[in-house]
Amino acid sequence: MIPAGFEYFTPTSLPEALELLSNYKDDVKILAGGQSLVPLMKLRLAKPRYVIDLSGVGDLNYIREAGGAIYIGTLATHSDIEHSELILRHCPLLAQTAATIADVQVRNRGTLGGSLAHADPAGDMPAAILALDAEMKASGPSGERWIKAEDFFVGFLTSALEPDEILTEIKVPQLRGGKSVYLKAAQRASGFAVVGVAVRLRLAGNGNCDDIAIGLTGVTDKAYRAKTAEDELKGKRLDDEAIERAAQRVMDRIDPLEDINGSKEYRAHLAQVYTARALRAALAQK
Amino acid sequence: MTEKYIGTSTRSKEGPRHATGRGHFTDDIVLPGMLQAMILRSPHAHARIAGADASAALELPGVAAALIPSDVVAYSRPFKPGRYAAGLRKPIPEYATAVDKVRYMGEPVAAVAARDRGTAEDALDLISIDYDALPAVVETADAMKPGSALLYEELESNIAWKGSLTYGDIDGAFKAADKIVKENLKIHRYSSTPLEPFAIIASYDAASRKLTVWVNAQVPEVIYDALREALELEDIRVIIPDIGGGFGQKIHLIRKYVVIVSLLAIRSGRPVKWIEDRSEHMMAAGHSCAQEFDVEAAVKTDGTVLGLRFKEIDDVGGSTSTLTIHFTNKLNNLANTYKVQNIALEGWSVLTNKCPVIPNRGIGKPGMCYIWERIMDRIAEELRLSPIDVRKINLIRPEQMPYTTPSGNVYDSGDYPSLLATAVEKIGYDKLIEEQKRARERGRLLGFSVVIGVEPGGRNAARDMAIFPEMKESPGSGGVNGATIKLERNGTIALYLGSPNCGQSHETTTSQVAADVLDIPPDKISISTPFDSDLAPWGVSAANSGNNFHLYDIGAVHGAATKLREKIFTVAAHVLGADAAQLKIEGGAVHAPGSPVKKLTLADLGKIVYGNQAMLPKGVEAGLQATYYYTFPHAEPNMVPGADRKVRAQFTFSAAAHAAVVEVDRETGKVRVLRYLIVGDNGTVIHPNVVNGQIYGSAAHGISVALGEGFVYNSEGQLLTLTLTDYGKSSTEETPKVEIIHRPSPSPFTTLGQKAAGEGAAIPSPAAIASAVENALKPLGVKIRDLPLSPERVWNLIREARR
Repeated sequence: MIPAGFEYFTPTSLPEALELLSNYKDDVKILAGGQSLVPLMKLRLAKPRYVIDLSGVGDLNYIREAGGAIYIGTLATHSDIEHSELILRHCPLLAQTAATIADVQVRNRGTLGGSLAHADPAGDMPAAILALDAEMKASGPSGERWIKAEDFFVGFLTSALEPDEILTEIKVPQLRGGKSVYLKAAQRASGFAVVGVAVRLRLAGNGNCDDIAIGLTGVTDKAYRAKTAEDELKGKRLDDEAIERAAQRVMDRIDPLEDINGSKEYRAHLAQVYTARALRAALAQK
Repeated sequence: MTEKYIGTSTRSKEGPRHATGRGHFTDDIVLPGMLQAMILRSPHAHARIAGADASAALELPGVAAALIPSDVVAYSRPFKPGRYAAGLRKPIPEYATAVDKVRYMGEPVAAVAARDRGTAEDALDLISIDYDALPAVVETADAMKPGSALLYEELESNIAWKGSLTYGDIDGAFKAADKIVKENLKIHRYSSTPLEPFAIIASYDAASRKLTVWVNAQVPEVIYDALREALELEDIRVIIPDIGGGFGQKIHLIRKYVVIVSLLAIRSGRPVKWIEDRSEHMMAAGHSCAQEFDVEAAVKTDGTVLGLRFKEIDDVGGSTSTLTIHFTNKLNNLANTYKVQNIALEGWSVLTNKCPVIPNRGIGKPGMCYIWERIMDRIAEELRLSPIDVRKINLIRPEQMPYTTPSGNVYDSGDYPSLLATAVEKIGYDKLIEEQKRARERGRLLGFSVVIGVEPGGRNAARDMAIFPEMKESPGSGGVNGATIKLERNGTIALYLGSPNCGQSHETTTSQVAADVLDIPPDKISISTPFDSDLAPWGVSAANSGNNFHLYDIGAVHGAATKLREKIFTVAAHVLGADAAQLKIEGGAVHAPGSPVKKLTLADLGKIVYGNQAMLPKGVEAGLQATYYYTFPHAEPNMVPGADRKVRAQFTFSAAAHAAVVEVDRETGKVRVLRYLIVGDNGTVIHPNVVNGQIYGSAAHGISVALGEGFVYNSEGQLLTLTLTDYGKSSTEETPKVEIIHRPSPSPFTTLGQKAAGEGAAIPSPAAIASAVENALKPLGVKIRDLPLSPERVWNLIREARR
């Protein structure tokens, strides 16, 4: 329960942090909120030789509105997001998802950026980020680049960040007139998603589906958008039959995980059940 | 004595210190120069130890001592098989660590002590153990096959014990039956996961050859004997500070670690502390036993059960040291609440490459209750009777009390029909039948159940001789425990208990008893902690186990306080020139009748007995201190089993009816407990809040056991549930509110009519949940045989039923 020895850095600027990262990139971990990294280190499942703590870097914790989007600093905590008026007004899905993460203590320290960069296949935020069409800003030695949510989650605990890049900002487009919901079958103790489904949709004047995004987490080795399921619903009337049909498609070309929290069959089944439930819950919103 | 305090929820004595973070646990203790220990554990389920080398670890700066298997063999001796190993047919030497083979993942193999814990963890990586991996034997069915890899070659089989017990005329019962009802049942491996894992400090004074250990052990006897046997020391002091939960986890396997830590202290010449981490506790501190039952009941068409017989296969894991405890504990509640006279049981204890099994809140008793209550439901179903009526017709009637069961238990008191009827009424059974009909029409899976179970209390140490009368070393018989009470110089009372406690408010409860005997307020009574084997008046029943407290500790405190009161009156009568028989204690003073001036405060009395010889009556010992060792006065008949194998497994019998209402999510298989109600008879209730606390906690555990918590091994014998996250205990969100109704039938045999409450609701609750879930799934034809009922398991049962 005591981590193996490591060298600890607290840079005070982003360039300094990036320089440290470039120097030590082979055996280094970035510390944001520490809610995943520190337990792994205490169990000695992770033994990085270098740890770069971002808490000393100024201006990484903010939630701002600009030009039709919400910009969130990488160190904004789940609690900040859960209670932010800007987020509650413009992308309530993110606040609702944040409120389901673990417990108050974890939400007070855990950060959005840390959670996304960790790319835990059972993390909640990736599903919401996918459903919201968010973009991630990666800062590296040669500048910044934006990565779309769909391209960000690459595999088990692997994001599209390069070893010398830091996720510094998340941009969530403001989408009007939408309904959204995040539902999950939660792991009993941790609250991690055995299966989590984030749905965002907008209805046209005739009541048909005008826009739809479905993000799933917990199901396979990375969070993903269920595009074929979305295609089943686009432009259609969202009746029970359509919802069931869409739910049947969320496992298209997906190889589900298998662990003590659920077999492949059960996970696939839960993904369908929770997709249908999330769609109904979203539709039921005023 | 008065009854001012007994029966009321007096202010908690230990609550304030725990609520304010001022409890004094083993890890709070810091000794000068103390080292920190870490244990190296086997990554294999089954392997031969080919070699071990700790020299690199010893070279790491800060490391003071290391132990490898050859050191353990050189410097310690194996434990003797104790009562938990009753029936072991060949002595199997078991050392504190594995020495020749490892038999479960997590088995301790080596240890280090270093200046701090981080260094000790670093040093573990530097100890090399050469393993020759052997095939892992994980399932009992595989372990029992001829040709299976053997855990103990010297036993020539993985079936380490088999045996049977028959009471009454079982063949006659089955011949006379109208119908034989059969079922196969299974209970899984779980634990009570106390908040505080094992914690030990050992300090050895080489000059006086005295070893002192601080340990959060439930049973001082186990630690004391283990250290004597393993280290051949005479002068041993066992100090037991506050314990963060026990439930049986801290009775048995903790002895290994006390020896390991003591060896490190002896070798390094410095005090050594070891605090187990959660994963170590999950993999190696002990599990409850997975039990499989093949059950048959001989019944008449009206539901009367003539006889019950069952076969039991116990998966005892990778040690012979607790070989038969889950089988012999069936004797504690073998007849449950039923008047069935013919019962036969046959058992196999099967070794597997899993964590050894240990006592766990009720030990085999939840399994025995599960057998009875599941088969009662099955009888009702096959005979098309109401499950309530089937239970009712078989219950022991209150006018039959005290009632002797076929295996020799004597039930002291109880009105089982009234417990059942009250539960049926208060849960609204008839209304639920209607509600269920409406729910089913809407496709909802609503279910409910009422079950009943006894809760035995007060262990008889001779029980295990029922299966092993030829036991070489008698495990003892009946029970003994003491208490010491003292009037202090200032008129307050100091009380020394004979047992440690794990947070069950023993200080509060015993102070109530002493307060009523002495007629002084409980806040004038101070309970001395921690338990200290050098000072405490402890006996074989000084065990925070076996539901012992209510019988032995309360009996001892009552006896000691009564002795003290008599002596107070003797001295006061002399000083006041009054008749001792007429004196009474009131308002902190001893009063003579009818005289407002003839009184002596307890503080004045204190000054006299400790300092004023001239005022003492002649021939009376100075001081005001009394020790009383309690034995149960009604322990005969059947205290020691004879040729008929009849034995009083325990001495008092609480009982409770449990009613559950559940709803099953048809799509996900998730079970939600909508209501949970307990109608309990715990005899005279000394402190209602304390007893309710025991009931809440044990119900929460039993419900969680039924709904999903438990250990999972893969086919290689690797434990997959290494953290509380994986283990799947129910959270407070999933735990229902537990409604408690008390219907006490005081015991005619105990000091105050008190009965047990500690194991409590953990015994019937798995059966209650299984029964309610089966009732909910009835439209789908699902039968509940195995626990746990995790969502995926229930979903699979629903799927299989649809096929």
